[in-house]
Amino acid sequence: MNKYALFLGCTTPTQVPQYEMSARWICKYFGIELIDVKDFICCGINQVNLSIEAGLLMAAMNLALAEDKKLDILTLCAACTGALLEAVEKLKDQETRDKINNKLQAIGVEYKGNVKVRHISRVFYEDLGIERIKKETKKDLSKLHVAPHYGCHYLKPKSALGGFDEPDNPKTLHQLIFATGAYPVGYETLNLCCGGKVFPVSEDLVDSLVQKKLDDLAGKEIDAMVLQCQTCYLMYSDRQNEVNKKYGKQYNIPIILYPQLLGLALGADPVKNLGLNLHTVSVDKVLEKIA
Amino acid sequence: MNKKKETAMFKRPVSSSDFDRNFRSEVVKHPDASGLSTCFSCGACTAGCPIHEVFPEYDPRKLAKMVKLGMRKQVLSSPYIWYCATCHNCEQRCPQNVKFFNVLNVLKNMAAKEGYAPSCWIKQTKQVGKTGIVFSTEEKWVKKREELLLPVLKLEGKDAKKIIELSGINKIKLKVNSE
Repeated sequence: MNKYALFLGCTTPTQVPQYEMSARWICKYFGIELIDVKDFICCGINQVNLSIEAGLLMAAMNLALAEDKKLDILTLCAACTGALLEAVEKLKDQETRDKINNKLQAIGVEYKGNVKVRHISRVFYEDLGIERIKKETKKDLSKLHVAPHYGCHYLKPKSALGGFDEPDNPKTLHQLIFATGAYPVGYETLNLCCGGKVFPVSEDLVDSLVQKKLDDLAGKEIDAMVLQCQTCYLMYSDRQNEVNKKYGKQYNIPIILYPQLLGLALGADPVKNLGLNLHTVSVDKVLEKIA
Repeated sequence: MNKKKETAMFKRPVSSSDFDRNFRSEVVKHPDASGLSTCFSCGACTAGCPIHEVFPEYDPRKLAKMVKLGMRKQVLSSPYIWYCATCHNCEQRCPQNVKFFNVLNVLKNMAAKEGYAPSCWIKQTKQVGKTGIVFSTEEKWVKKREELLLPVLKLEGKDAKKIIELSGINKIKLKVNSE
């Protein structure tokens, strides 16, 4: 199936439009049709803090809207992926589904249990495949050394991912980076969480986590960090300045989203198609290196 | 973070007469927390926790133990239960398949009912009821999208409001300032 309901989430369309731009461009390039569903709401991941049932209800409503259009869901945000996938698992239970559908009646939707949810990188990995991506690349990115960052909910909870990738030793993003011609660099804090989900509660906790990873990367010869979630992006990119001030550091690590890296390899316009001019930490060094 | 106050609260001697013996069963009654019964306090959760790494007083094993002992008030009023980064490492490491992320959610739901939820989550829920997402439709974002030729975001939140009402989370009020 080459047609998906695009689940934008809350943060990408409002604060990281370059992720959305580049994702749409790549999908168009490969003939993956993205359908905008105007009634989609937040995935519910933060609402489980107050009520597990509320979070499930919100996720179920989104699943039902996609199901109604006979579409599977393609996500951009790692956290939305995790939340929706956990809901899919929970709603496999008939009793739970009945209970939720009972409430969803009030807005005239019902979830029958037939929606698959996949993150955009997983769709690239599974549907396009590494070989196809490799064949399409036009620009030489072999000079680029980048640090992959997966995003926790892209890999976990493992029980909801159906055997996709391996949380403790992930490889799909490494391979997707290889496919563009760039080189994924290994580093110790690869699996360290960005802390994004605790940001509203404590900025201090997030800054300590971000600093730890940036400090590890600052000692490596890398040109950028490549990630696949807008929340991780905001933590490492927009918090980088704050962390510099707070810890008296001069980290200057460009943060790039995977579809932007792939776009560069496919010959997309860095500004018009990929929004690489919109970054808080300038990516000019990266562009100069591959010019 | 009011570190001093929190440290004092966690290190103060506790008296078993203050324990609520029903607390543990109340928690594990919820399907999302049922696994907690099998926890043998090995501490793999704490060892794999990124928040514990940067803020050692946040300790999943300790919280689990406190639940099992029946330290109801100390657990539900603790700001620490809101410090989880939701990375799922605890669940990934646990030899007993306890989903501590889900256990914490059960605890947070109970704490919220008792008025201990941080205001950020209550505010966010109100926002979702208005626009369907956790942000408002700020003019600068709408304009930026236009400039970038991205589709217009239609955030009417008509069903979001209903969903929030149906779930009952609009009734959760902040009674105690836990921040």
